[in-house]
Formats: sequence, structure tokens, C-alpha cells
Amino acid sequence: MKRRTFVKSGVTGTVVGLAGCIGGSGDDATTTETTESGGTDTETSSATTTDSGTETQTEQSLSGTLQVATYSSFVDAPSSSPGPWLKKTFEKRHPDVTVEWKTPENEMNYYIQRRAQGVDIDADLYVGVNTDHLIRIDDKLGNKELFASTGDSLSNYGHVKDSLKFDPKNRAVPYDTGYISLVYDKNKVETAPTTFDDLTKDPYSGKLIVQNAQTSVTGRAFLLWTVHTLGEDQYLDYWKQLKNNDVKILGSWDDAYTAYENGEAPMVVSYSTDQVYANRYDQDMSKHQVGFLNEQGYANPEGMAKFANTDNPELAEAFMDFMLSAEAQGKIATRNVQFPATDWAKLSAEFEKYAKVPKNPVTFTYDELKGNVDEWVDSWAREIASK
Amino acid sequence: MSRDERDGGSRKSDHRTDGGQTAGRRESATPKRGLEWFERHALAILGVATALVLAVLFYYPVLTVFVEAVRVGGQFSLGTVREILTDSFYFGVLAPLLGGNFSELGDVAASTPLGLFGFTAFQAFLSTIASVALGLPGAYVLSRYEFWGRRTIRSLTILPFVLPSIMVAIGFVAFFGTNGPLNDLLGFLGLGQVNLLFTLEAIIVAHAFYNAPLVARVTTAAWEGVDARMVETARSLGANPIRAFRDVLAPQLLPAVLTGALLTFVFTFMSFPIVLALGGFELATVEVWVYSLVQDLDYSEAAVLAVIETVLSLVLTYAYLRYEARQAGSNRAVNPPPRKRLVPGEWTPSALAERAGVLVYAVVVAVVFVGPLASMVVESITGPNGLTFQYYQFLLERQATGASFQTKPGVAVQNSLLFGVAALLVALPMGVTIAVLTTRGGRGSKVADAAAMAPLAVSGVVVGLGMLRGLVFGVELFGTRLQIGGPVAIVAAHAVAAYPFVVRNVAPPLSGIDRSMVESSRALGASRVRALLDVELPLVASGVAAGAAFAFAISIGEFDSTVILATGSTSYTMPVAVERYIGNRTLGPATAMGTVLLAVTSLSFVVIDRLGGRFERG
Repeated sequence: MKRRTFVKSGVTGTVVGLAGCIGGSGDDATTTETTESGGTDTETSSATTTDSGTETQTEQSLSGTLQVATYSSFVDAPSSSPGPWLKKTFEKRHPDVTVEWKTPENEMNYYIQRRAQGVDIDADLYVGVNTDHLIRIDDKLGNKELFASTGDSLSNYGHVKDSLKFDPKNRAVPYDTGYISLVYDKNKVETAPTTFDDLTKDPYSGKLIVQNAQTSVTGRAFLLWTVHTLGEDQYLDYWKQLKNNDVKILGSWDDAYTAYENGEAPMVVSYSTDQVYANRYDQDMSKHQVGFLNEQGYANPEGMAKFANTDNPELAEAFMDFMLSAEAQGKIATRNVQFPATDWAKLSAEFEKYAKVPKNPVTFTYDELKGNVDEWVDSWAREIASK
Repeated sequence: MSRDERDGGSRKSDHRTDGGQTAGRRESATPKRGLEWFERHALAILGVATALVLAVLFYYPVLTVFVEAVRVGGQFSLGTVREILTDSFYFGVLAPLLGGNFSELGDVAASTPLGLFGFTAFQAFLSTIASVALGLPGAYVLSRYEFWGRRTIRSLTILPFVLPSIMVAIGFVAFFGTNGPLNDLLGFLGLGQVNLLFTLEAIIVAHAFYNAPLVARVTTAAWEGVDARMVETARSLGANPIRAFRDVLAPQLLPAVLTGALLTFVFTFMSFPIVLALGGFELATVEVWVYSLVQDLDYSEAAVLAVIETVLSLVLTYAYLRYEARQAGSNRAVNPPPRKRLVPGEWTPSALAERAGVLVYAVVVAVVFVGPLASMVVESITGPNGLTFQYYQFLLERQATGASFQTKPGVAVQNSLLFGVAALLVALPMGVTIAVLTTRGGRGSKVADAAAMAPLAVSGVVVGLGMLRGLVFGVELFGTRLQIGGPVAIVAAHAVAAYPFVVRNVAPPLSGIDRSMVESSRALGASRVRALLDVELPLVASGVAAGAAFAFAISIGEFDSTVILATGSTSYTMPVAVERYIGNRTLGPATAMGTVLLAVTSLSFVVIDRLGGRFERG
């Protein structure tokens, strides 16, 4: 049984207070949950739940409310977000459908925790899944399914680049990807570093800002890149050398990039699409040079996945297919400033010109990371922070 | 409490013997009797209500997390606790001692002598010293001088204390940066460069920014409540000014200074966003670890670390409360010395020296407090090509045309103020009740008092996690899932975070009241509550007003729990909005929202202080 969001209340409106509302005692749910919660908020659901029909439905018959969970900048960034366009366009094509964005503060963890506690999941689809998430889901939830496999049932799945497919179980379908690289200021860095080794040398002393690999996506990608390139046995020594060369490790991408823009150091770990922003905001291009170490960039594909207990599987899949359409792929790339995951995206001239692709994208597969990544990050963190 | 319940209560009171007090009176059960009954039992009722709120909103959620410390795979186990206590990464040289591996002592002392806990305590200690050193002169100037704008400045001392760390970090990075205004100025004066960022010093200065105002505020209150005649008496008996200060005035101020120091130590021990944003990961504290463990969903290790943090904080708090209790009871008149003018009547050397000191202090305040905040405001009107109002335009556009799933500034301002007032109204009675119950003395009251301080002593990350799992996800009871979220839960969480400040502001003066006054009013037939309202609270009005200001401030600045409990998409507050407006490559919208927050809170504090002042003068 699924919980719809309660009727939106204004600030002074009614409140779901201390009393949990009494709901029915679990309908004949098709899921195999033993701890299915019966009590839910009594609400007037505007959705007409479809019988779990196995026949594919025609477009016209799609109706109801689709709840899409994602990270907040996908729908509410001050710069640009794909979210509003996706909602508007999808609703225009399916007049009886309403798309509701949900952005819980803890993002994916929120749903993993809900599943672990046996609380019903109140969303149909998650946009923004990465390999780390999948590993965490499988480690923490074991055989409790959070997402269902989808891949092959999508009509546009053939357009997804094989190199980006990162989920062996086909739960997560890639919709865009970023490449982690260096961004540097040409005026302050005479010759750009071209190898990892360069960064430990004197000319680059105190000149690099990276992020915390424990909690930042870019920080973790950069760390994994060093493990990938230097090897499991060498990377800690390499970081010791970086530390001796006065690398600055800040908390989040925002902290790091702000410090970079303020001129605290002339190099920062960021995305290879950096110049797209620089162009949009009329910034000085010489301060936004993209550097690929060893001609590599660490690929960080993002995927979408359908929640296993959704009662709207057809609607969720229709939306996923829409996300992979040529038009949506172009819009997502432009507004999320990431590369499309398909081979048919319509990209703007601006994007073609300013988004840089590394010669050799590298990344760890799910299987390579599983059972290792926690160990790698933990050892790194202890190495850096020991007092 | 509703009327029906009161009437129900009065009906019930017919069936109980109440010490013969109403026996023989030939009155029917009128509402008046209901009121009397309520008045007689008000304290007990308030006490129960307070306990209930705390149990549901604080103890239960937090304990659901703490229990993970000793639960491994569903079994009770002390394995994780032992592992952490004997891990030199966490405890430095203490670890081999705790584990009994004395042979390893030498190695550990060479590699990780402090450990994470040692470093965190060291950092908190330095931050406390800096905060006290920066706060005390402020208290002196505010309480001993009279100048234009003094009251407004006094109202605003609480402001830094409530600013979201995101904003403070932005301001600090901008102001103290390599190319920031401070270095421009120093360069202009030919004084060279200051490279403060990403060092321990940056963390300490930022912590002083947060906590010196707290020290200044509580000390100012104490300084305005001293009895100057005692100093005059000492002087007339031949004590020199220094001796008179040391033996007479200092003991009257010390409890307040130590209150500020204790709170500062506890806060800075558990601070973490500031540490990462201004210090960098090499200077990580325990709370940074708790946060990342929770992110990885490694509850058991996170819970053990958080429990140790809490135990340390509560032990400190208890030790302090024992000290505070010994100081109390010195019932003295409030008779502060007359204030001095900034421009003295005649320029004696000592007057000159003192004014010079005040001037130097003003410069320091301008650098530490005004600089970062002004830098943030400047950022909000500076675009890539100079002066711009586009970020404020963005806020207005969001307000006018934002979609339902987007954050609107107007809604955030409205929510913040509403939650702040509501939290104040809940936290004041809670705090006063606990203050009354714990100052009655008796065995164990100090333990209870320390326990009442628990909300300050528990890691914010853990409180947030507990609230998510215990309240937002809810519990299954008799086939129904009870869930709490939205405005009611947010206000309650704010009140829980704020009431310890009410207690710390009200309890010390309350225990200093001459008991005989209360006893005589009781003997004359006043109920306990009547005596509290008519006799005691007016005597400690300044403490109550200070507590109210703190309660409002805590609510305005609260971020961790708010963000988790704002389950409806419309219960976000100003700090949450600031965080959500941080955008790719531009801090503009966030700094604009931060400036709005700054303006709204400044105005609120001045208003609250004025209202409080009126209440103090009765």
C-alpha cells in the first residue's frame, strides 16, 4: 500500500500532528514484505491505481500521479535544472498524468533507511542513482529489494551507450554522465600538470584543492581515480606525497569551488563541463581550463531506477523512456550540464563547443568496487585525518 | 489545556481529599474552583507535559540511535565499543592504555599521540579560550559604558550565534581569503599578508565568532546585576581597585563567564560544517566522523562515537553545575555602578589608557564580526561584472513564479518567524519548569539538572538521524504507524533545542532568591505557581528575558532537525533556503537569501530585546 503525500498544507493549514492517521490494514499487496505497514495517512488519492496489468498500455491511457525522487539541484538549482522542463513536457504529452518531484534531504539514504525500517516507500522512481548507491543498497539491504530491474523493457534502451551501463542487475538506467577532471587557472599555472606524478612535484605545491572522499561525489571519484591509476597498493603512498605537497582537502564541491574562484589555489577537482558554465556566466575562460591527468577522466554516470514496490510501473517506465528520448537527453545535458548517456541526444552548439571529453574515460565497475570501496575510502580518511 | 479538561479536573477534585483546604467551604464546583485546582497543580502538570515532550521528541529518537552502539547484528555486544576505545586513531596514547597493550605506547605516541578525540578536545579548548578572550571585553564595554546605540548592539550580540554555518563559511572565505578585503587593506598599509584559511587558526577564529557573543551576553547580564556598594565598601576599607575587583567583583561574574565557557566548549567540541569548510579534512573532528559514518549508514560505530561525545559533555556539565550550586544563594541587591561615557570628563592617563583599549577592541570586533558579515552582503550585490541586483531579483522571481517543488524566500521568512515565536512560547514554560524543579535542591537535583542539559550534549547529526527514524518514519503501534512531521514537530524540536538556554539563564538567579520571601507568600495562602509568577519570576525577569531571546534565536538558526522534519514541502525555514540556493558556480542567490536572514533576525532580536526590557521593568 502506498502513501500519497498528504494534501499540501499552508503554513497555517492543517498539520499531520502527533496522531498517526488510522488507515486500512494493508491491502493485498503484491510485494513480499513481511513488515508491510498498514497504517498510512488517510488521504484522498487523486490517482487511479491501475491493476497491475502486464499488458503494455497505450500512451493515451496513462494517467495518475508519478512521484519522482531526486537530488534537489536536479529540480531546484538557482542556475538551471532539468526538472521543471521534464515535468512540464511529460505532462503536456500525457494530459492525465501529474509528475511530483520529491527531494528528501538525505537523498538516496532516505529511501534505503525507509526500506531497512520496513516503512513504505512513497515514490515510484529515483533519478540520480550511481554505482556507490547500488553498492550501499546491496550491502545494507541484502535481499530486501529496493529497485526493480527495468533496462530491457524500455524502448529507447538500445540508445544507451554500453560503456556507461553500470548496473549488472539492470536496475539503474543511465541518463547522463560526468567526467571528473582538473579545472585550473592558466594565468597562475604555467604548465598544466599532465600526470598524477606531476601533482606531487614542487611547482604544484599548495596549488590543488580536492574534496572529502567520504561525503563528496567529486572527492570520491578523484580518490577512486587515483586507486584506478596507481593501484590498490600504491594509492595511499601517493596521497601521503600529495599531503606533503600541501594539497587542500575541503568538505564539499561547493566549498572547494568557492575557494578556487576566490583564488585560494589555482587548481581544483571538478567536472570537465566547467567551461559550459563559464561561457554562460561570461567568465574569463583562462580561469576555466580543463585538465585531464594521464589523458584520463573518471566517468561518473547517473542513472534512474524504478522502485520495486511502485504501484505505477507502466507510468514509471514511460517516464524513464521519455528521459532517454533524443529531445530530453539534449535538455538534460544542457540544463544539468552533464554529458548525455545516449547516442542520439540533440545537443546545443554551446555544449558541443565547451564540454570537454577525456581521451580515455576510466571508471570502476560495480563488481570492482563491491567489497572494496569502503575499505579504500576508510583507509584514505584515516591516513589524511590521523592526529 | 482546554476548558473541558479543566472542568474535568475540577470534577475529579471533588473525589479527592485535598488536605482539608476546601473542606467546610460551601461552594459548588464553579470554574473558579477549577482554576484553583489547576493553579495548585500547574507545576506538576507542566512538569509532566515537559517530560512527555522530551521523551517523545528527544529521548526516544536519540535512544533509538544510541542503542545501535551495543547492538551488532541484533545481538547485544560491546565489541564496537571496545574496538573504538582501543583504537589509537580515535584515542591516541589513551588507546593502548585502555586496551592494556603497553608495548605499543611508544609507536602510538610517535604516530598518533592525540587521536581524533584528543585533537577535538584540544581544538575546543583553544576555541573556548579565544571566545572568552574576545567576549569578556565586549561584556565590559556593554555593561560599563553608556553610548549611542548600546542597547541595539547588546540586542545584536546574539546574532552571530544563530547564523547558519554555510553563511559564516561564505563570509569568512570571502573576507579572510588570500585576495579578500582584509589582505587588500593590510597590503595597502604595507603590513603583508595573512593566510588564515584552511588552518586550525581559521577554525578557532570562526568558533570565536560564534561563541564570543554568547560569552559576552551572559557576562553582560551578570555585570549589570552586580552590587556596586560591595566594591565601594571594599575600597573604603582600603582595598586597591585591583584587589577590590579580584575579591569582590570577580566572584560575582565568574559563574556567568564559566557558563559561557562551558557552553562554548560543548558546542565547539561538536561543531563540524565549519571545520570542513574553513579548516579542511586534515583537521577533522569527531563529529565529522560521526557525520560520514551516518552517511555510510554505519550506525554502530557512529553511535559509539556519539555516546562518548555525550558522556564527556554531560560529565563536564555536571561538574559545572556542582560549582554553580556552590555559588548560588548569595542573595545580593542589584545595584550596578553608574555607566561611564566613552568620552571621559577629563583625560587622566588611566582614562586615556582604558579608552585606547576600547578602541583596539573595536578594531578587533570589526575584523572578526563585521568583516565576514559585510563581505557576505557585498557578495550578494556583486556579479561577475560589478554591482548587480540580479540575485535579489532572482529571489523576487522565485517568490512570484516558483513551482510548488521549489523554495520560495517569502515562505521561508514567514515559517522562520512563526516557528521562532511558537518555539519561544513552548520553550519558556519548559525551561522555567525545569529550572524551578531543579533549584529546589535535594539529592539528585544536580543530576537531573545535568540530564536536562542533554539536548546540548548530543551530536546534532545523531539527533537528526533519531528524528528521521523515530518520528518521520514513525513507529508501528497496534497495526497503526504513528508518524510525526511538519510544523508541529519542527516547533517541538526547536523548543527541545532551546529550553536548556532558558534553564541556564533562569536557574542561577532563581536559586539566589531569598527563600523566606517565597515561604511567606506561601504561608499567606498563595499557591506554588502564584508565588512563582508574582514573587520569583519578577525578581529574575532579566534571566527570563535573556532565555526568551535565546529560545527565539536557537529556533531561527536551527538547521539539522528542521531539514529532516520539514516533510511537507512547505515547512522550510530561512537557513534551509540559504542552503538550497547554493548553486553551481554562483553563491549569489544564497548570499542574497543570507542577507535577508541577517536583516530579518537582526530586526527580530532588537524587537524582542525591547519587549523583554519592558517586561523586566515590569
